[in-house]
Amino acid sequence: MSDSNSVKKSHIRKILIIGITLLIVCAGAAWYIFTNSFSDTSREKADYTFNALDLIKEFQQDDKASNKKYAEQIITVNGSVTEIEQADTTVNIKMADTSTGSYIIFAFQQQDVVNAKKIKQGDSISIKGSCSGGVYSDILSTEFITFKRCSINQ
Amino acid sequence: MKKTTLIIALGMMTGAAFAQKKTTTSAAVNFDATTSLDALPKAENKTVVAAIDTKAGTVAFEAVVKSFSFGNPMMQEHFNGPKWMDSEKFPKASFKGNITNLPAVNFATDGNYKASIEGDLTLHGVTKPVKTTAVITVNGGAVTAKSDFTINAADYGLSDSGGKVAKEPKISVVAELK
Repeated sequence: MSDSNSVKKSHIRKILIIGITLLIVCAGAAWYIFTNSFSDTSREKADYTFNALDLIKEFQQDDKASNKKYAEQIITVNGSVTEIEQADTTVNIKMADTSTGSYIIFAFQQQDVVNAKKIKQGDSISIKGSCSGGVYSDILSTEFITFKRCSINQ
Repeated sequence: MKKTTLIIALGMMTGAAFAQKKTTTSAAVNFDATTSLDALPKAENKTVVAAIDTKAGTVAFEAVVKSFSFGNPMMQEHFNGPKWMDSEKFPKASFKGNITNLPAVNFATDGNYKASIEGDLTLHGVTKPVKTTAVITVNGGAVTAKSDFTINAADYGLSDSGGKVAKEPKISVVAELK
């Protein structure tokens, strides 16, 4: 009788330990997921590297296929700055295909805004960021491709 | 001859400054669907295309949906996922509308004007009418438009994720058009 009680208590203890361990692991995972933030893009490895005009061309040819391939990927884009545009408290940098008006526009992560503001029109630069994809603008009659969380490659 | 050339040049410059259609490719749109249960669903898109026709009184906006940037990777994924904006299927959000009290907005004179805007907002492949107001600031030929409004997420087929996401997310728009 006392043996079977001991066995029962031992079972209950094991179930409690497993249960509490699972609870801690799940709570930890949930805490990680909810408090996680994107890391500094400058430290991320680029999935692709492009010349700006080549990337624009690819999106112009088939933006649906390009979106599937490149959206949310970290891409380094090299090219010449065609325009700098004020965007609320920060600046955006554009690299355009001047023959069609299609362009790539880069919005910067907070830690790169100071460097972005130093860039001038005509500068040849390299920018790394998360590609958000491209769509055709009915307003501008051009393709535009946007990037977020960008950093300037030094 | 010189005087004539100067007058023509000044006229062209004035015309350019008050050009009818003004655009920007860097309008900022904030999306805020936070609740007391979840402070994460909040994002900003700083690469929105916007245009205003000061003569016709038309306004238009276009945004790449994946450009709404969240701080949290899970929220970025959920927002773009099939249960919410489904941005793979619907990569663009847009608005087309009109300033309904156009005579009250003098684009030729510097100042602040309250504009009434009505138009169609297309999100998640669904188009619904929207009415809002905007403050339009005219300054030396540049036009800044600011507007805040809410949308009913369910109207656009967007889930409230069991109450964690606001049923009526707030949208804030700032556009500096030239």
